[in-house]
Amino acid sequence: MSILSFDETEESGYDIRPRRDAEAGTGPLYIVCSPRRTVGKTLLARLLAEFYFAHDRPIAAFDLADEGPQLSDYLPDVTTAVELGSMRGQMAFFDRLIGEKHSAKVVDVSHRMFRDFFVIANKIGILEEAIRRGIEPIMLFMIDPDEKSAGAYSILQRWFPEISLLPVRNQSVANGIPYWGAFPNESPIHVALEIPLLTASVKTLVSQSSFSFARFQRTQSIGLPVRLDDELRGFIRRVFRQFCEIETRRMCGDVRGHWSSNP
Amino acid sequence: MVKPVVVLVGADKGGVGKTTVSRTLLDYLAARKIPTRAFDTEWPRGTLKRFHPDITEVVDVTSVPDQMKIFDTLESSSAAVTLIDVRAGIMSSTLNALRNIGFLDAGRKGQLTFALFHILGSSIASLDEIAETSHYLTEAKYFLVKNFINNTSFFEWDQATYNSYFKQFKDAVEITIPQLSEMAYEQVELVAAPFTNFIANKGANGSPANHSFVLRGYVRHWLENVWSEFDRVKLLDVVGVREASTEGAKPRLMKLAEAAAH
Repeated sequence: MSILSFDETEESGYDIRPRRDAEAGTGPLYIVCSPRRTVGKTLLARLLAEFYFAHDRPIAAFDLADEGPQLSDYLPDVTTAVELGSMRGQMAFFDRLIGEKHSAKVVDVSHRMFRDFFVIANKIGILEEAIRRGIEPIMLFMIDPDEKSAGAYSILQRWFPEISLLPVRNQSVANGIPYWGAFPNESPIHVALEIPLLTASVKTLVSQSSFSFARFQRTQSIGLPVRLDDELRGFIRRVFRQFCEIETRRMCGDVRGHWSSNP
Repeated sequence: MVKPVVVLVGADKGGVGKTTVSRTLLDYLAARKIPTRAFDTEWPRGTLKRFHPDITEVVDVTSVPDQMKIFDTLESSSAAVTLIDVRAGIMSSTLNALRNIGFLDAGRKGQLTFALFHILGSSIASLDEIAETSHYLTEAKYFLVKNFINNTSFFEWDQATYNSYFKQFKDAVEITIPQLSEMAYEQVELVAAPFTNFIANKGANGSPANHSFVLRGYVRHWLENVWSEFDRVKLLDVVGVREASTEGAKPRLMKLAEAAAH
């Protein structure tokens, strides 16, 4: 598929296509995480990976989950299951994370592996090493009302002060949580990330392992009722636009934030 | 005049990590730009020499000519510190020889600084070694090293028993060497390079290498902790040498890792 089939540009007046200059450089390293289960980590990881599919850009996904449905169920062709429990598994995973520079990477850190993953990352300095190699790590933290999440978010901020840590609000689990309370975004990438609500029937559709957001977006119609079709296309557009905003900020720095703080 | 410093690393028991601790000490001193020479008493093959060939000489510490080679050159050597890695089974006899040649007396009179790193094994025999060794060490700096690098559990020790031994020597200082992943440790063994070379992604002769970042990360983290222990006990103050570099251990090791990325 060509990125030209993505018709958002004309409709919104805002170019949400990934910038071509990004394709020549190094891909970012997205770490989707939360210490809590069923907050939408795998959905966000899927959406990120499919965002890259949709724009014909290389993507590698890593799945740290040990229970289904998991990322490798949805994207088996690009997803590698990670075994953090052994040294060989760690070497296969972490050495590859910083070894491949040109593809974007998405790591889906399950709630059960949350602690182990970040303890090891902190110990061996993998995220700092990624930065030294020109790979930008971006931690996407699924927020929720549980105190454990706020505590974990605060720990990540302390452990990785140089790494972008972005709160992501999944409206189906964290609708009432203010961003700048327990989950301040102090990274240079000031993007308010939200996964919009989906109605039950659309949620059921996208939960099928054969469903692809990128493929759906490319297809004129898969026979859904108009209301559901519109809802799903709007959902994808809204999420992908946020990813584009991250990409833009990532490449240009937070120009708007800089201007507003330095008038 | 600066007093010569002699650091003896030993244990009567084998396989407790004497050479590993010697290697961490040599790396620690080298990072602080303190001129150091080492003697490897695993004669004739040598063990420490594999890792630090440029500054290490293999000697038979029980022979008089080799004792002369070590101790008669303390003042004339350009090295501020002389480290002796004593092979298993001869620590007591080496200390005895040092006493007989008047070395320990020289230490007592303040003519030189003598420090002993006594590497403890997990067996109760190590506690007896402490009692035996301490007889020689009235003026020496005595470091008792609990080496957990191979996940030693010290299971045979009753803490009360250990404390009763330990408290007999009010000047003894305890140092803990933390555990290191077995695979990371073995990889450095295979490369036969200083730990700092491995962290900097270099081979034995300093040439660029392609070690796993994960293993290098584990070694760096471990060595930071070992050096923190040396800093905690104020090792340099104790042995009376002055650091040529004033950086902390962590930035120094991090710089090695950073250098490897370029």
